[in-house]
Amino acid sequence: MRRAVVDLLKAIRAPVAAIALTLAIGFVLVAAITDEPVRAYRDLLFANFDSLGNFALFLNRATPLTLIALGVIFSFRAGVFNVGGEGQLYAGAIAATVVGVFLSGLPAIVLFPLAVAAGILAGAFLGWIPAVLKVRLAVDEVVTTLMLNIIVLLFTSYLANQVIRDPTSYGAVSQMLPQKIWLPAFPGVPGATSGIIVAVLLSIVSWVALFRTEWGAQLRASGTNLRFARTIGVPADRRIITAMLLAGGFGGLAGTLYVLGIGHRFEQNFSPDYGLVGLTCALLARIHPIGALATALFYAMIINGAAYMQISTDVPRSLVDLLTGLLVLLMTARLGLRQRQG
Amino acid sequence: MTGPDEILHLSAIAKTFGEKVALRDVELSVRRGEVHVICGENGAGKSTLMNILAGIHQPSAGVIQLDGRKVEIASPIVASRLGIGMVHQHFTLVPSMTVAENVFLGRHLTRLGIFSDRQAMIAQAAALIERYNFGLDPRTPVRELSVGQRQRVEILKALAFDAKLLILDEPTAVLTPPEVDELIGVIDGLRSRGRTILFITHKLREVKAVSDRVTVLRHGKTISTHFTRDVSEADIARDMVGRDVFLVGRAGRPRTRAFGPTRLRLRHVAITNAAGRRLLDDASFEVRAGEIFGIAGVDGNGQTELSEVIAGFTDIQAGSIEFDGRDVTAVGVPGRQKAGLGFVPEDRLDRGLSVTMSVGENLAATNYALAGLTRHGFVRTDRVEAFTAGKIAEFDIRGAQPSTPAGSLSGGNMQKVVIARELNRDPPLLVVSQPTRGLDIGAAEFIYERIMAAADRGRAVLLISSELSEILALSDRIGVMYSGKLLRVLERSAADEVTIGALMNGSVGAVN
Repeated sequence: MRRAVVDLLKAIRAPVAAIALTLAIGFVLVAAITDEPVRAYRDLLFANFDSLGNFALFLNRATPLTLIALGVIFSFRAGVFNVGGEGQLYAGAIAATVVGVFLSGLPAIVLFPLAVAAGILAGAFLGWIPAVLKVRLAVDEVVTTLMLNIIVLLFTSYLANQVIRDPTSYGAVSQMLPQKIWLPAFPGVPGATSGIIVAVLLSIVSWVALFRTEWGAQLRASGTNLRFARTIGVPADRRIITAMLLAGGFGGLAGTLYVLGIGHRFEQNFSPDYGLVGLTCALLARIHPIGALATALFYAMIINGAAYMQISTDVPRSLVDLLTGLLVLLMTARLGLRQRQG
Repeated sequence: MTGPDEILHLSAIAKTFGEKVALRDVELSVRRGEVHVICGENGAGKSTLMNILAGIHQPSAGVIQLDGRKVEIASPIVASRLGIGMVHQHFTLVPSMTVAENVFLGRHLTRLGIFSDRQAMIAQAAALIERYNFGLDPRTPVRELSVGQRQRVEILKALAFDAKLLILDEPTAVLTPPEVDELIGVIDGLRSRGRTILFITHKLREVKAVSDRVTVLRHGKTISTHFTRDVSEADIARDMVGRDVFLVGRAGRPRTRAFGPTRLRLRHVAITNAAGRRLLDDASFEVRAGEIFGIAGVDGNGQTELSEVIAGFTDIQAGSIEFDGRDVTAVGVPGRQKAGLGFVPEDRLDRGLSVTMSVGENLAATNYALAGLTRHGFVRTDRVEAFTAGKIAEFDIRGAQPSTPAGSLSGGNMQKVVIARELNRDPPLLVVSQPTRGLDIGAAEFIYERIMAAADRGRAVLLISSELSEILALSDRIGVMYSGKLLRVLERSAADEVTIGALMNGSVGAVN
């Protein structure tokens, strides 16, 4: 048990150090732009906690990021460079919405699990396609997952515009999901999705699965040295496909929980690049599930905080792009340093 | 102290990396025109010493004298200006460029200061090749050369710099036995043209074959320097290890038990590659319980393919494979392992382990169920740690903690991880490929003991090795592979170095 705690601290230490340094450098930049650097920075970091409403938005932002990052971690640990998070997210969201809208007559106790299952399965299916192509035909997964993103985005756009469109509202949005299957709010925080609880629990479950089971060891063996894994009798192809099913499933779940808990309908362009940001969160956490929870929370905090900062001071919100870029730089620079020492 | 015939003199050289002491007190004197071997076990400090001479590391203490003058070798560029040429164990060649282009890489001969003068470079490279009789065409792209030929290109690079002192860092580690013999010829030629050569190795046969004098390092200290003709291999081994070493093998020990039933049988196994070449041609043999069956042969004559068809990685196109009388031809890798196969692959980095995973996870990989390391699929970390610590102690895996990445270990210690893992299951059929490649004497001796003990317990062992001495030391029967064929199977009593050597070159007639 002590080992587990030490492992956990180790995993968190790296991103926290880089984050601190990024913020320090960022502060210098903010001070150069505005007369109120302290105010700007306070808003960037703490405005999320000014009101329950802000806090709710923060949790809503963090939930899909965490889930997508967890999915990415499973695929990367299995050696699959899955950049299809965005597509898997949309697939989950549209599948859950379609089920919820078309079967709205069913009782909640049936419809809710059905919608969730549909969302997860749709995402998983999207992970399965590149996995099977990779394992059977050695098709590069970067290409297939990227292309699937575009296919799914266009297909969901068609569905949202033509099939499940809400004719009474403006823009490409679906009809509302029946209220009976909305996810309950986070206890004590109205407007916040309780999906964040699912995300936190799943990050712990993911860590246990990857680092404390023989299955996880086999998956990581397949990801780090495929020929080694095959030599010791690991059914590596099965592990890789499972990892991609999970990766897609996590992305699908992120989309599902978004429509059930936050949007309550499918909106075209509902994701501000959750797929890519989730991938960044996973990489910055060195593809560690607990670390990814931390980086996802941090990203959610500064993405939302930047908006508050822009409102209250004259610092543009695009500063946050600069900060995240800097963060990526510092984390990878650290990596390089460590490798040279080793 | 330094006489006129002395080209290099090191006194009291020390080098520390942080808390790790790599060299503590190295004395070395190299005479002009000699071949001087530096010998020592893995981790004795040979490579550190060479890197100091090549200007890659700076010594923490001590004096380097070249031609009687004190020098500081601040960088590899300084080293080459001083006339020290280094040939690294891992090559630094551009595969797509020709031999001549590689030799003059970074200092192309030019016309009018800008245009590469390819004709001049080819001519100069050809002249060097001619002078040292290297048998290369300067116009050949390096990617088309064999490993032994590439090494000669490396040596050419150093010679083109006009190196007075040529350092070869474990040059034979990557070579096949015939290539080693060719290299020894090359070195003789260099010596007869007045070059001084420092040759690093831990293979005793080469020390005797190549050198005038030999200096032994142990734990970062110079232990002895001898004229090679005055000492035996056993003397050198004793200096290297610090105690007497007995590499007896099976031939020298009384047989304790008869062979049991046939554990592994191959019948007419054949595989053909996409180009239609037979990689394995009608291979038939069997290995019985309690027997060590050795496969000798020059690398690349089908041994890799043989081990892979037995392990189940490659499908065969003809014939059959049986474990314990059961046909496993169509059974996959996991099934064969369940049926009792233990497999030590020839290349530990390729198939043997995952370098980014910890030593503990690498050792546990095939032993979770057997050693009770899991409960309901969950890993019991305390047990993995105890299991790993036990294996580290038992196999003397140096520099390893259960949580260190396997890739941070030295090659020999990585090999011990692979062997410890496979032997833990005590498999009834053990297939071992190149078990001691890159290992020092002490570690090899230990692994030989383990392999022989497995056979004595009634396990069937298939030993595939390109080290003839290893095959002769351990095997009860010996098969020789040449060009995908198993040429002949000999009883150990009927086998000697000459007979097998002839078969390894494919001459069946020579022994009829």
